[in-house]
Amino acid sequence: MKPAGSLSEKYRRTLSYSLAGLLILAVTLYLALPVAALFFRTTPELFWSSLSDPLVISALWLSMTTSVISLAVVILVGTPFAYVHARTSYPGKVIVDTLIDLPLVLPPAVAGFALLVLYGRMGLIGRYFNMMGISIAFTTLAVIMAQIFVASPFYLRQAKSLFEQFDQSYEHTARTLGASPLRTFLTITIPLTASGLVSGAVMTFGRALGEFGATIMFAGNLPGVTQTMPLAVYVGMESNFNLGLTISILLVLISFAIMITVRLVTRKEVLHA
Amino acid sequence: MQKRTESHTLITLSIVCALLLVTVLFAGCTSSTTQPVTTAATAAPASPDTPVGTPVASETTAAPATPAPATTTAAAVAATSTPAPVYTYSEGNVVAYTAASLSGVSPKLAADFEKMYPGHKVVFNLAGTQALKTQVVNGAYADVFISASNAYTTELTNGGYFVTGTVKPLTSNYVIVILPANNPANIKSLSDLAKPGVKIAMADKSVPVGSATTSAMGKMAKSTEFSKDWNTSVYSNVVTYETSEPAVASKVELGEVDAGFVYESTAIAGGDKYQSVSIPKTYNYLQTYTIGVMKQSTSKGAAADFENFMLSSVGQQDLKDYGFRSL
Repeated sequence: MKPAGSLSEKYRRTLSYSLAGLLILAVTLYLALPVAALFFRTTPELFWSSLSDPLVISALWLSMTTSVISLAVVILVGTPFAYVHARTSYPGKVIVDTLIDLPLVLPPAVAGFALLVLYGRMGLIGRYFNMMGISIAFTTLAVIMAQIFVASPFYLRQAKSLFEQFDQSYEHTARTLGASPLRTFLTITIPLTASGLVSGAVMTFGRALGEFGATIMFAGNLPGVTQTMPLAVYVGMESNFNLGLTISILLVLISFAIMITVRLVTRKEVLHA
Repeated sequence: MQKRTESHTLITLSIVCALLLVTVLFAGCTSSTTQPVTTAATAAPASPDTPVGTPVASETTAAPATPAPATTTAAAVAATSTPAPVYTYSEGNVVAYTAASLSGVSPKLAADFEKMYPGHKVVFNLAGTQALKTQVVNGAYADVFISASNAYTTELTNGGYFVTGTVKPLTSNYVIVILPANNPANIKSLSDLAKPGVKIAMADKSVPVGSATTSAMGKMAKSTEFSKDWNTSVYSNVVTYETSEPAVASKVELGEVDAGFVYESTAIAGGDKYQSVSIPKTYNYLQTYTIGVMKQSTSKGAAADFENFMLSSVGQQDLKDYGFRSL
């Protein structure tokens, strides 16, 4: 019987470690290099000078406000919805379950086109709004509606599975101690599922911030009203390359900032628990 | 047994790793000179030793145009610019980066091109000229570039992207205002565009038709017939700046806007889909389209053939049928 072949053992271990290292390196580089390339294409002076461009400022302001509003709506409406959906079984639950996932697989341009055909002034519903003098398409409201449509699945799916997997004995204990269902929900369920919900919210915000196809189809492209940052990048890329680059870098920085903030916040929560 | 599964995992790991590395390297090294996959031509071969542009004699029944003018223009083009033409099957594919306003006529152009030059095929990449220019400048492969704006043509020429001498004016277009078929805002003239509540779609100023619209609007603002106030009111009625000319037309066709600034060719080719209000020539901007063979093309023979076709009476007639204004 050979002694535990220490040489071949070491050889195999180094090989598997280096292979694993290569794997991680490959994936990391593939994701990081394109982002890094953005920074290398411009200079700090150019970047700072184009930050004051009114087009950049209006796109930034519009993107941030619409994404925050979209996220707020998704959380406020989506959390109770996900809770009800997870806890009860109602007729048609399977269909609703599938519909939640629909915007994930639907191409955004198709989503935008569908929203336009429904809510546009010639649309199925939109025509009645139009008769009352309310226009939906080509407004900031349309931007928000498009963002909600494409980004909500990220939060809904996450919340739904969190509530499904949540150990109901916590809730039952609280109820036996006299807490109302609402109080239980707010003080027991939400805090314990918070980190998962927050990650879902982050994905939703990121998706809403980056929405392009549905926005340009349904809301159009009007600086200050509907020209979000992704639209400004697309238009700027062709007429003013530097502007497009600046806005792209801004988007990257914002995304990173959000991710880091969220990780710090959620880590604090875990420590306290 | 354990040893076998361990080495098995190692082998799988190494294969996956190798594949990933190859993918990353490939993605990083893919340069602008990536050639499109050329499909082998299946039609009867034309004589390989005649100069570029000679259509096959047996096809005269199909091709409505006479070969003679095509050959002379071909000879002229060949004499001034294209390298010694070598007709081989691999040269049969033409990638044409084409201004989006030619979307409607492109199927007809493709069919007639293949009729005139059997064995050749053309593939159109249709987008706003500004988008195509950005793609080409960043390394995209094209054999032929059809631009809707002299400004972009000049930019590309100065950048050395064209084969010298191949840049030729192709056709032209005026700007026109189209309305949905039922004219919901009841627009009868250009002055009605300034009425409050009218929704107008224009193309972004980076799009050729957008800058043409801006020029026309500028001329009208300076005139006595319209005024600066009219100009301001119209611009405040604009609800979207689209990124291509067909996008403006589709918003009008859907009835979501009351009016859109597009090319006359779209209005003519659209027929009953739109009503239109024309802009007088004194205020209008005549957009000139140009066509040119790209220096990076590896099928310069086929590319020159395509340019000849577009400039020939067949190509020009196709364009005219779809509302383009011959030069």
